[in-house]
Amino acid sequence: MDVEALEQAALAAVAAASSTDAIESVRVEYLGRKSELKLALREVRDRETGMSLNAARERIEAAVGARENELERAELDRRLAEERADVTLPVGGYERGHLHLITQIRREVEDVFLGLGYGVVDGREVESTHYNFDALNFPPGHPARSHLASLFLDDETVLRTETSPSQIRTMEAQEPPVYIVSLGRCYRRDTPDATHTPMFHQVEGLVVDEGIALSDLLGTLDLFMKALFGQERRTEFRTHYFPFTEPSVEPYVSCHVCDGAGCPVCRHSGWIELGGSGMVDPNLFEFVGYDAERYSGFAFGLGLERIAMLRHELPDLRELWRNDLRVSRQF
Amino acid sequence: MRVPLSWLREYVDTVAAVAEIARRLSISSLEVERVIEVGVPDVDGNLGHFVIGRVLSADPHPNADRLQLCQVDVGNPEPQQIVCGAWNFGAGATVAVGLPGALLPGFPGPLEERPLRGEVSRGMILAEDEVGLGPDHSGIMLLPDGLQPGTPLADVLPLVDHVLDATPTMNRPDLLSMIGIAREVAALCDGALRLPGPEDPPVTSPEPVDVAVEDFGGCPRYIGRGFRNVRVGPSPQWLRTRLHLAGMRSISNVVDATNYVMHVWGSPLHAFDRAKLAGGRIVVRRAHEGETLRTLDGTERSLLPADLLITDGEKAVALAAIMGGLDSEVSDETTDVLLEAANFEPIGILKTSERLALRTEGSNKWEKGVDPYAAEPAAVLASRLLVDLAGAEPTGSVDVNDGLPERPVVTLRPERSRALIGLDVPDAEQRSILGRLDFEVDEGWQVTVPTFRARDVTREIDVVEEVARVVLDRVPKTMPLRRAVAGHLSAEQRFRRMLEDVLVGAGYSEAYTWSLVPSDPDPVALRLPDPMSGEHAVLRTTLLHGLVEAARVNVDAGNPDIRLFEMARVYLPSGDRLPDERWYLGGIAEGGFAAARGALEAIYGTFHLPLETRRTTLPHLHPGKAAETDAGWLGELHPTLLDGTWGVFELDVARLWTPRSERILYEDVITYPAVRQDVAVVVDEDVEAGSIVAVAREAGGAELRDARIFDVYHGDQVPEGRKSVAVHLAFQASDRTLTDEEADAARARVVEALRNRFGAELRG
Repeated sequence: MDVEALEQAALAAVAAASSTDAIESVRVEYLGRKSELKLALREVRDRETGMSLNAARERIEAAVGARENELERAELDRRLAEERADVTLPVGGYERGHLHLITQIRREVEDVFLGLGYGVVDGREVESTHYNFDALNFPPGHPARSHLASLFLDDETVLRTETSPSQIRTMEAQEPPVYIVSLGRCYRRDTPDATHTPMFHQVEGLVVDEGIALSDLLGTLDLFMKALFGQERRTEFRTHYFPFTEPSVEPYVSCHVCDGAGCPVCRHSGWIELGGSGMVDPNLFEFVGYDAERYSGFAFGLGLERIAMLRHELPDLRELWRNDLRVSRQF
Repeated sequence: MRVPLSWLREYVDTVAAVAEIARRLSISSLEVERVIEVGVPDVDGNLGHFVIGRVLSADPHPNADRLQLCQVDVGNPEPQQIVCGAWNFGAGATVAVGLPGALLPGFPGPLEERPLRGEVSRGMILAEDEVGLGPDHSGIMLLPDGLQPGTPLADVLPLVDHVLDATPTMNRPDLLSMIGIAREVAALCDGALRLPGPEDPPVTSPEPVDVAVEDFGGCPRYIGRGFRNVRVGPSPQWLRTRLHLAGMRSISNVVDATNYVMHVWGSPLHAFDRAKLAGGRIVVRRAHEGETLRTLDGTERSLLPADLLITDGEKAVALAAIMGGLDSEVSDETTDVLLEAANFEPIGILKTSERLALRTEGSNKWEKGVDPYAAEPAAVLASRLLVDLAGAEPTGSVDVNDGLPERPVVTLRPERSRALIGLDVPDAEQRSILGRLDFEVDEGWQVTVPTFRARDVTREIDVVEEVARVVLDRVPKTMPLRRAVAGHLSAEQRFRRMLEDVLVGAGYSEAYTWSLVPSDPDPVALRLPDPMSGEHAVLRTTLLHGLVEAARVNVDAGNPDIRLFEMARVYLPSGDRLPDERWYLGGIAEGGFAAARGALEAIYGTFHLPLETRRTTLPHLHPGKAAETDAGWLGELHPTLLDGTWGVFELDVARLWTPRSERILYEDVITYPAVRQDVAVVVDEDVEAGSIVAVAREAGGAELRDARIFDVYHGDQVPEGRKSVAVHLAFQASDRTLTDEEADAARARVVEALRNRFGAELRG
C-alpha cells in the first residue's frame, strides 16, 4: 500500500471536514479499527514499514485532533453568539434591608474616632441626677434640672438629657489617658415637631491626657466636621457656655449646600452650628479624683439627628421614628 | 436681647462697622442670631429727604373733611404745602417731614408731589410706623420744640439703624444690658467705653422712704426712692423709638423709664403707685400659707411660703422680681411713685416663676443672677428720667442691704493659660485683655473680678476663659500628641454590628422606635410619674410594641416585603433605683413562624451557635406557633395584634453573646470524606423535628457529623395522624475513611433509636 498517498488523502479529508460530525467520520475512516491503516499495521512484519505506518498514523491523529478542536470551538462560538441575555433585566432575589440612617451616621462617627485611636463606650440611658447633673457641674438653678425640661423617674433619677454622664462613668472607671466617644439615646421633654423629638441621639467625646490644649479640641473637631461634611469645608469656633466645660466653644462648619453664601439650610448665615464642646471643667476632675494640675482634657457633644437633617436635608425628624420602608430604603 | 446700634454707640466709641461688631461678638461673647436693618432704606441721598419741619398753619382741607392742609417750614425760604390725614397736631408743632423723592420702607417708589383732592401735597408729615421708629399709626410724630426746621431728621432720630438680635449664654446675665454689650465691644473692637453718668437729681421735698427687708437671702439689696407730683403721660419720641427698637412697647413715661433703665443696666426696676401702698411702706418677705395676689396680667396667684413678695406691710403688692400687682400699678392718675431698684437671688425666683409658669423680662434676668451693684446706677438713671420726663420731685432714697458681696480675687498663671489655650498669648496681652474687660490685675497676677462677673468667674480656669475667648479666632488647630493609642470596638460592640449586618443581609430594615411606650406587659415596668403624654409613659421591657406599630405603618402605606428589626435597650426593673438596661434584638416580618425562624437560623448560623427551640406559650404569640430559645423567643404574632401573618422574635443580646466560644478550632473535613446516607421514617404527627435530630445525634455517636431534616411529607403514602420525615445523615471520622459497613451500622443505630423513642417505621 502507498502510505504516502493514504496520508495525503487523510489530511485532505481532515481539511475538508466542516463539522464535528464530519471529522468523526474522518477519524473512523482513516484511524478506526477497520481502517486501511489499522489493518496494515496489524499485518506489518518489518520494523521499517511499522515505523513509517506509525509515523503516518500519529500525524493523521494530530491533524484530526487539531481540526476537531478547531471545529468544536467554532461551533461553541456559533452557539454562544446566539445566546443573548437582556443584561438590563432585573432578576431580584436578594432583597437586602437597610440600616437606619442614624445607625449609618453612628457607625461613620465611630469609625472616624476609631481611626483616631479612640474607644467606644456604651453609657446608660436611665441615670442618677448625680451623674446627669451634679457631677457634670450643673448649677442648682440650671434649666435642664427642671421637670419642665427633662424626664424624671423620681427626684434622683432622670432619663439622661445628654450623653455626658458617660464622661464621669468613664473617668471613674479608668486612669488617664482617656480617649473615648460614647453614642446613644438621650431624652428631653420636647414636644415632637419637625425639628424636635423627645428622644434623640448624641455622640459624646472625651479626651483627658497630659498637655491637652484648646487647640487640640479645635483640631480634632475640624477633622471630624470635615470628615462628615467634606474636606473643602471651613470650620469656626465661637464662645459658649456649658456647665461641664471651661472654656466652652460651639463648633461651626461652613454650609455644605451653599458653601457659605447663605441658603435655607444654614438659615442664610453661611454657617452651621453642630453642637457643644470645651475644655473639661476642673471640677469634673475633682469629682472623679484626677489631678487637674497634671491632666487637662476636652469634651464635645453633637446630635446625630442634626447631622442627618443637615446632610440629607430631612424636613421632619419624626420621619426617623415612623420607619416607613419607603423612607428607610432611600438610605 | 435687642441691641440697637445707634443706642449702643452712645456707650462705646469705635470705628468698627456693624458687621465687624456682630462678628467679634459672635466669636468671643454671645450668639448674634441676626442683624436686623431698620428705618428707611439706606440708599444714596435718601436720608437728605427727611427733615425737621415746623407747622406754620394747619387748616381743614377745602375739599375733604378728613384731611388737613398744612404749610410747613422745612428750612427753605418758602413753606412747603403738605396734605395730612392726622389730627393730633396744630400750628406750631415740630414734626418729621418726608420730602418728595424720599424712599419709605415698604413703599414701592419715592414720594412724589401730587394733588390730593385738588391741593398739591409736597411731601408727607410722618407717623412713627412709616419710618420704622415705632408701632403707632394713630397720629404723626410730635418732636420737641426748639429743633431748627430743615435739620436732618437723622440727626435727631435713628432713621437708619441696625439692631443686633443677640442671645447671651446663661452665665452672662451681664450681657442682658446695653452697658454689658458696650463693654464687650470696647474690649473686642478697640473701642472706648463711655458709661452714662447723669447727675442724681437732688431731693426737693424730703420725706422718709420706709423700706424693710425681712429676707436678705432672697433680696440682698433694696433701693427705694420716693417721688411726688409725677405727671404720667406719653414718652417723648426718642424714648418711644429706643424701646421700639429694643423690642418693648411704650406704655407711659414712668413705666417706660423703668424699662429703658432695665435695658441699659440689666437690672430690672419697678414703679409702684405709692398712694396704693398702705402707709407708703415696702416690706420684703416670704409669702404666708394661703396668701394670694392678683398680678398685672389680671391673674389671681396662689402663693407658697417659698415665694418672695413685695408687700406694703399689710398686703402683697408684687411677686418679687417677677411681676407687679394689679392694684399698685402706675396709672394715669398716679402722682406719687415709689421706685424699686433692688436685687434678688436667682434660685427662688426661678422656682416661683416655673411653678406659676410666669416668665417675664424681669424674671428672665433675675433667674440668671444680676449684679447687685447695678441697682444703684440704675436707680440714679431712672430718677433722672422721672424728673426730666414726668416732672417728678424726688422725696428721698433708701438703700437697704446686708452688705454687698466682695469682689472675687483669683490668681492667674499666664503660662498656665498659654498651655491650656495652645496659643502663645504674651503676658502683656493677657493683662491688656483682662484690663479691657474691667478685671484688675496686680503685679503678682492677682486678678480682681468685676462685680458684674462675680458669680461666673471664681477660679483660675474662669480667668483663662476670658483670655481664650478674646483670642479664640487665633487659636491654631492641632491634634493631641499621644503617648498611647488603644482604640477599638469591644467584642460585644463588634458582635452587635454583625447582628445588624446579618439581618440587613436577610432583608430586614432597621427600625427605631420609642423607648417610652403607652403600656408594657411587665406590670412593674418603670413608669414616668409625669410623662409628656400617655403615648410616652412607660420605659419598655420589650421591643415588640414598637415593632408592631412600625409594621402597621408600613401595612397602612401599602409597602411590600415588610421585614423590620430593632436593636435597642430595654429597661428591666432591677429593684435598684436604676433599671437593668439590656440590649434586645427584635424583629417582625411577613410570613408567620417560618419568617421568624429563618431570621434566627441566619443569626445563630452566623455565629455557629446551636439554635435550640422549645415550644412555649406567650400571650402575644399564636398558641401553637411559639417557641423559646436560650436567649429569647420567636413565633407567629397573635392575630389580634396585627392583621396578617407575622413572624416575630426577640433576643437578649448579652445572653446570645455570652455562650459564644472564643476560639473556633480547625477540624479536618478534607482528608477523609464523609459517607452520606439518607433515611426516611414515619412518625406520629406531633413528633417534633428537633427531637428527631436530637435522638439521631445521640444515637449516631461522634462520627455522625451532620443530621438534617430535608423533607416532611403528609399524604396518601402515610397513615392518617402520621408523617414521613426524611433525614440526611453524614458520617465522618477525622482519622480514617469510614467503611460502608461502619456507616451502615451507625445508620442502623439511628433507625433503632428512632424506633424505640418514637415508634418510627423505616419507610421504603
